[in-house]
Amino acid sequence: MRRRHVCPCGGTKSMRSKIAHGEQINGWLFVMPALALLGIFLVYPILWSLWISLQVGKGSNLHFGGFANILRLFGDKVFLHALTNTCVFFVVQVPIMILLALVFAVMLNDAKLWGRGIFRTAIFLPCVTSLVAYSALFRSMFESDGVVNNGLMALHLIAEPIQWLTDPFWAKVMIILAITWRWTGYNMIFYLAALQNIDQSIYEAARIDGIPARARFFRLTIPLLKPVILFTSIISTIGTLQLFDEVNNITQGGPGDATLTLSLYIYNLTFQFMPSFGYSATVSYVIVVLVAILSFLQFLIARDKK
Amino acid sequence: MTGTSKITRYAIVYSVLSAATFVSIFPFYWMIVGATNTSAEIVKGKTSFGGNLLANIERLLEQVDLGRVFLNSAGLAVAGTLLTLLVSSLAGYGFEMFRSRIRERIFALLLLLLSVPFAALMVPLFIMVSSAGLANTFVAVVLPSIASIFIIFYFRQATKAFPGELRDAARIDGLREWQIFLHVYMPAMRSTYAAATIIVFMMSWNNFLWPLIVLQTPEHKTITLVISALTSAYTPDFGVILVATILATLPTLVLFFVLQRQFVAGMLGSVK
Amino acid sequence: MKKLSTRWGSAFGCLVIGAGMMASASASELTVWCWDPDFNVPAMQDAAARYTKLHPDVKITVNNIAQNDIKQKLQTQLLANVTDGLPDIVLIQDDNAQRFLQGFPAAFEPLSDAIDLKKFAPYKVAAATYNGKSYSVPFDSGVTGLFYRSDYLAAAGYKPADLQDITWDQLIKIGKDVKAKTGHDFFDLDFNEAGLVRAMMQSAGKWFFTADGQLDIIDNAPLKAALETYSKLWKADIVKPVSGWSAYTGAFTSGDVAAVASGAWMTGTIKGSPDQSGKWGVAPLPKLDGIEGATHYSNWGGSSWYVFSSSKQKTTATDFLNTVWAGDIDFYQGILINQGAVGSLLAAREGAAYKASDPFFGGAPVWENFSNWLGQIPSVDYGTFTQEVNSAIQAQLPSIAKGGSVDEALKAINDRVSQQIQ
Repeated sequence: MRRRHVCPCGGTKSMRSKIAHGEQINGWLFVMPALALLGIFLVYPILWSLWISLQVGKGSNLHFGGFANILRLFGDKVFLHALTNTCVFFVVQVPIMILLALVFAVMLNDAKLWGRGIFRTAIFLPCVTSLVAYSALFRSMFESDGVVNNGLMALHLIAEPIQWLTDPFWAKVMIILAITWRWTGYNMIFYLAALQNIDQSIYEAARIDGIPARARFFRLTIPLLKPVILFTSIISTIGTLQLFDEVNNITQGGPGDATLTLSLYIYNLTFQFMPSFGYSATVSYVIVVLVAILSFLQFLIARDKK
Repeated sequence: MTGTSKITRYAIVYSVLSAATFVSIFPFYWMIVGATNTSAEIVKGKTSFGGNLLANIERLLEQVDLGRVFLNSAGLAVAGTLLTLLVSSLAGYGFEMFRSRIRERIFALLLLLLSVPFAALMVPLFIMVSSAGLANTFVAVVLPSIASIFIIFYFRQATKAFPGELRDAARIDGLREWQIFLHVYMPAMRSTYAAATIIVFMMSWNNFLWPLIVLQTPEHKTITLVISALTSAYTPDFGVILVATILATLPTLVLFFVLQRQFVAGMLGSVK
Repeated sequence: MKKLSTRWGSAFGCLVIGAGMMASASASELTVWCWDPDFNVPAMQDAAARYTKLHPDVKITVNNIAQNDIKQKLQTQLLANVTDGLPDIVLIQDDNAQRFLQGFPAAFEPLSDAIDLKKFAPYKVAAATYNGKSYSVPFDSGVTGLFYRSDYLAAAGYKPADLQDITWDQLIKIGKDVKAKTGHDFFDLDFNEAGLVRAMMQSAGKWFFTADGQLDIIDNAPLKAALETYSKLWKADIVKPVSGWSAYTGAFTSGDVAAVASGAWMTGTIKGSPDQSGKWGVAPLPKLDGIEGATHYSNWGGSSWYVFSSSKQKTTATDFLNTVWAGDIDFYQGILINQGAVGSLLAAREGAAYKASDPFFGGAPVWENFSNWLGQIPSVDYGTFTQEVNSAIQAQLPSIAKGGSVDEALKAINDRVSQQIQ
């Protein structure tokens, strides 16, 4: 008895079933190595840490606490502060960076542009700059008597030096600048690669049809890039919600917790303070929940545009 | 009319890109200049070249077995990159080309798991790895990241641009699925693989937290661990640190130079 | 698929066997983890060389790992209860010690039986004592001093004697005069660093916790005085704001600011500018104003060596620490001269290096001064939750600097830490 499968590829019914069955097996074969590895190295540790998040106690003196850790979240002002900071970074930084990366990628996709390779390399450079080097550099550049202030004053954009590192607001701005500087090139790479996969004949046809450049960008390029844009936007969401490196190395969460993020708080809870592994695991899952919500929303938006 | 707007367009494009280039390159310039100065000069903010490069290199070599460290990082990165690309692209292709409701659900779950911070997973991973007797081995460093949800996701999205007709045509030609993957898909997705190679290599090369936890002995150190140790001092020697960081940066840079042509190379094998 | 699994299986098996072979080390090999290639690492290497001369069959390897990285590794391994790969000896900063001792009891080997810890400065031993047992061999003392540019002060009409036995209010006045006459700020302060506040508080004999471990913030007079002094420093407009360690040290090594109050270990950093030799002086820490029991003596930083109870070479490690670190006075002279490390071994202070005068500091016997102060530092119990309080204080520093209310800050600190130590 042949089973009925729903197969998108057409053909006769019996051939459809055979193909469909083959598809199922092949589908599993392709993903099995990854799933097996993930099962061992991701799923098991996650289950373990979920279990730990239900434990309370310090150091290795852990005992079951049920939802005590979740309740603790609500009364934890530092957590709420870190949450707010993280969300602020996300809302401001991700859209700016994606837009910039898109703009650069489209600009650099022009075969007639001179110096394409140089620009491309230059914009990607920040991604390979080591964390130690660029955090030391950013700190020194953004000092009150540093290069950035000197430049801004020389251009008469500001009258007094901005206290980038010691003012809570400007410290946040500086972190956003640092992240954008570092990761725009990264996202640009993905867009460039995707743009290469777009058949140029589509653009030719559109040009012959008289469609202007801007419309070509919005009606052709963006929709074709949608999968990659969605990818980078979700990855950037995750990256920014997990923001740690920059705030740990450039501002150490300061001044006065102005740039404290959830990940930095988790780090402190785990490694600086008397370790509350259960609680820090709980805060980790707050990040997961946030990402889940935001990613779901982004997937939804992407689907709606159709 | 088209002439002037073209010039304006190019003017805007060039100024934007030049500004971006300057902003992006300046830190590199600073790093290189710093590597030629003494630590005191760097702290004072000197932006011109000095004559201390050789001295810094010497001091670095005194403190660190650079060859060994580099070899460690390189070995890990190369092995990690090759394995990750293989396993993850297979999975990305599989998820996209062979749809099934169960696998869609699994994929959605994987995306969710992508957001779990590594700090939450470190301890159980370490327990697992130690009980298998793999603490302080390079195998343990590489294994957990071979199946990278991030890269699986990337390949899946990129595969949406891979035409199903190519696959169907190959099937009609009698090719088996793994042959289609190897001989039709991989060449067609060259630019995707190039981008993924750079990204994965970078992730592996700059990997810090997991190697820190797993690797115990000095012979196993990677360059990121070494640089971290150099910066933790009452008086860090920034000249030495910057030399180390430039050396640490070179491999990824070289890889980028080599592979970036692949972004330009179009899709081989036409659709028509 | 079947082929694949057997291949993996045998590969895995080979790896496990190989790893096992690598794990069996030679019998007399000690591993030490510590940070700072210019301070701790060479000191330990020097000690290792001395011991190996006496015991040629013992090999000691010093692994240079960043301090934060050591904390992360220790924590992960101790929580995972995996002792393979832990070193025999590790360096831990004193204010972190209780966190490890209390969080992971039985991880560290008590040393009070094997080594006579009365030979060391009491406040250091107290930092690593838990439940009646002591777990460390003290290393460098963070005995504090006020390092100042004697030439800047001279320009404002002050001599070294003017800095002896003063209070913070008096120092602030001096600072204002120096700024008026030379244009240089007196201190530089980083909002991410509450060390000065802690040092001021300890100088009056208090810490963040009472003797029975209760949180002591609101009624802590020295803490309040310390925060008020901090506020006054900013109000007097003699402070340069900085962020990050290199900016902090850069400010005084470049001559931008006139002074820095810090632990004795800062000497190495200061002496890194040989052209400033003769232009620096060291004075005792000023006293807190209006506090009973205020002294000129306090501590900032400082670490000690710990032995893991899981170490297979415990006895050798303990003997090593006992022979060199608890016995070799000559060794301490060496590390004083070479690294500027002020040891906590009380007898070491009799050595020649400690009595020597230092031309860099205008010929003053700085080490002798530090040694004298060392013995008078009030002992405090750092307790388990120092980092939490530290973090809470740091969060308040910007608002205090802007003139905010110290009482409100204290309340905020108290609320925050109470919530965290539940």
